[in-house]
Amino acid sequence: MKPATLNETPSPSITRKLTLLTFAFFAVAVMAEAAVSRGFNHLLDAVVRIDVREESFDTGARRFTGSIGSGVIVSADGLILTNAHVASPRSVELSVTLASLERVNATLVGWDHWTDLALLRLDLADVKRRGLTFTHAEFADSDKLFPGQTVYAVGTPHGLTRTVTRGIISNNRRYFADNRGVKGYETGLFNTWLQTDAAINPGNSGGPLVNENGRVVGINSRGYLGADNLAFAIPANIAKRVVAGLTSAGAITRSYVGIVPGALLDLEGFYSLKQNTGMLINSVDPGSPAAKAGLHGGDIVLSINGTPVDGRFPEQLPPILNIIASLPVGSTVKLVVKRGEQTISPAIVTEKLESRQGEEWAFEKWGLTVRKVSRAYARENQLDDDTGLLVLGVQAGYPAAVAGLNSGDIITKINQERVTSLEVAKKLHDAFVEKPVPTLIEAQSDRRVSLYILKP
Amino acid sequence: MKNPYRLFLASLACVIALFACASATAADLSALFKERVKSVVAVEFFTESELDRRPTVTAALVADSAGTLVLPPSAINGYVQPEKLKDFRVYLPGCSASEYSSAQYLGQDPVSGWHFVRVEEKLWSSLVPVTAFAAKSPGTEPALGEEFWGIGLRGKDEDFAPYFMASRISHVQSMPERTAITLAEVAAPGLPVFDDAGGFAGVAVAGFGQTYVQYSRNDRGLPIMLINTDESSVFQLASEVAPWLGRVPANVSGRPISWLGVYGLQPMDPEVAAFLKLGDQSGCVVSEVLDGSPAEAAGLKNRDIILELDGRPLPRFKPDRVVTTFFERELSMKKPGDVVALKVLRGTENVELKATMVEQPRLFREAARTYFEKLGFTAREFVYGDGIARRVKLTDFKGVVANFVKNSSPAGTAGLRPDDWILEVDGVAVKTYADAVARLAAIEADVTRSDFVLLISRSGETSVLRIKLK
Repeated sequence: MKPATLNETPSPSITRKLTLLTFAFFAVAVMAEAAVSRGFNHLLDAVVRIDVREESFDTGARRFTGSIGSGVIVSADGLILTNAHVASPRSVELSVTLASLERVNATLVGWDHWTDLALLRLDLADVKRRGLTFTHAEFADSDKLFPGQTVYAVGTPHGLTRTVTRGIISNNRRYFADNRGVKGYETGLFNTWLQTDAAINPGNSGGPLVNENGRVVGINSRGYLGADNLAFAIPANIAKRVVAGLTSAGAITRSYVGIVPGALLDLEGFYSLKQNTGMLINSVDPGSPAAKAGLHGGDIVLSINGTPVDGRFPEQLPPILNIIASLPVGSTVKLVVKRGEQTISPAIVTEKLESRQGEEWAFEKWGLTVRKVSRAYARENQLDDDTGLLVLGVQAGYPAAVAGLNSGDIITKINQERVTSLEVAKKLHDAFVEKPVPTLIEAQSDRRVSLYILKP
Repeated sequence: MKNPYRLFLASLACVIALFACASATAADLSALFKERVKSVVAVEFFTESELDRRPTVTAALVADSAGTLVLPPSAINGYVQPEKLKDFRVYLPGCSASEYSSAQYLGQDPVSGWHFVRVEEKLWSSLVPVTAFAAKSPGTEPALGEEFWGIGLRGKDEDFAPYFMASRISHVQSMPERTAITLAEVAAPGLPVFDDAGGFAGVAVAGFGQTYVQYSRNDRGLPIMLINTDESSVFQLASEVAPWLGRVPANVSGRPISWLGVYGLQPMDPEVAAFLKLGDQSGCVVSEVLDGSPAEAAGLKNRDIILELDGRPLPRFKPDRVVTTFFERELSMKKPGDVVALKVLRGTENVELKATMVEQPRLFREAARTYFEKLGFTAREFVYGDGIARRVKLTDFKGVVANFVKNSSPAGTAGLRPDDWILEVDGVAVKTYADAVARLAAIEADVTRSDFVLLISRSGETSVLRIKLK
């Protein structure tokens, strides 16, 4: 817009006053522009395009797919922040295009699907050898953002490298949880999101959302499909903590007690609560520490470890859950819980938070791809325990398909041996590869148990 | 010269004879048809729900001379309470549809699945039971290519006019009843099929489809299955189903219904049998042994493979899955108190057990329910089937189930959905159905109430719902 304005020659009919005004405007604009461009140019040199090749296990065989995302370099030693749905443990090849358009490989340092963040490290040896340069971006304090503030998204939408779009912060505390949001993994339970109307398209994922100084305020993550300019980014302050955690430990470990909260909204009167007090427990996962402590839906948590909680509105819930999640695994949480007229104070020992999504694997000779049944998946589907492998796909013409196995079946036994881990199945598959003999599979589909024979 | 002429005459005679024969058959068929139409009727009834009355029209056959009619299993949804079935009307095929006789619902037979209805006496003289038309050679299986015929009924707007269908036997197999498959449609589902002499040969059954590939501008060959719901080309042989005609339920509930308590029977295929060194043995895998059932009491375990029933090995069928239908049908013929002997394979060892069948726990269609119009939902008693679906132990049976939720009603707006399990009303646990009804009725009667709160469970997760009344 600005260069076009500069190129316009004022028409002779314009009065002197107006011209002066125009000059004054230009002066201000140019000053602001200068500040912006310094920060911006610095930032632009830190934004990268990421080409990902990753494995998929959906079709009964290990297949490879490619995708494009964005990222931002956040340290001088080449750490790149991107989305967990861009780079994940499934990625087998991560190729980073620097601002100089040079390509360098990167490796995954760690990922955290709960906040949809992943951390990569550039191949610095290669960077040095080829004499490449890059800058790294600085974070801004995302708690200071206000709705209406101008922000810019930088990234690779639809493969269009180095695209800058502009918008405002539409909401700085959006609650948005999705149980299958990141490649089937859960996301958004422990953080709120920034909502922006800056255009975010596929490929923007993992790129930075920045303020006018080019400081990173968020990492662009997702948009509503079919909606206009409703996009979400992870706030920088959360991203900073995740970067620190992933750098030091390669993963973010969270505590779990099994409480599913609900917003209190107009229920305060019903539960005779003081204004803005308490968090409603909507559900308690069966078999979880909270269930063992006797908690159930309809209970109200008044405080956690002595800190009063207020969960009246949905966007207040992630920070409360994060209090519990941030505790060391195995620590004791003291809750004060209101149930009807009585108040109880159970002490609950936390477990390690696990995804419902288990590890995936392909058994090539059987033409079978599976995902380990996780504790959370077993709970969700009312299975007896986490024994078993969920069939993701079968390859036509291979033993598993010929035997009649289907995606969605859960393999519970192979040759009468309970499949308590992926390793059990791998061992039996290795034996099959070595010496192919008929193999008995016990699988259940919607609680119906069937037997199948895998024939060589 | 003479010989060819004689040959011509002979063949001419032959042709004339054949023609005469054929035309005689046609004339006979017409007469046979006219007589056998008396063994079929059209039945209309209404299913009453919270909001409306839905009509159902089905064909029915005449089972005896006392006005007993048989409706096919699919005519009535198994979840519907018998008392919600209203206003049974019986129409004679081809007679003005403005005239009908009323009838009474007698219940469903657990073995055949047939529904029985009795029409008022004034119509009895116009009806002839199918059993009056004896087969020309009872008990013999139809031969391949043999011709059979049956009756179809047009719609109500055409006075249920009867029409003729005929086809030839293509195949006979056990499903587990001996079942004939014909080349084309032979009768309306639920209606009798006759041999060429007009003898009762079987009853047409619904539910068999044919696979087609659909091509369109956008699809390059989409496999689809088409099911003709008005006409069927499959019939169960009379030798199998005729005895069922006498199975008129003693009461509307269809009880006694015997119960063993095994869930999710799955067939064992020949490959598995060979692997387990069972030779040609057939079997059923028991997915789950139900809580508090005779099977549990007898010591049956999840994943046991049932090999024998009452000392007889389970027969092998094609397709394999028929064996589970066979086993279930055999059990359905038992009475509560009967002892069944089972031989099962558990791991690698054979185990023999004896179980005493009991009366089946209350079915969905027997569950009590109350519609709270102002609240906008129906509360239904929690029955055994709910416990199976939600994997709840007998000792944990509680609450009620939202059987129906009215759109845009207070309950519907608050997010209550059909099949939600209501555990608490206003923060207090619901112990029994009566308890729930009493409390919901009190809420409904209280005009000062502005809201109430339910704790519900949906797919294993609970949720607190605030239902605003004002």
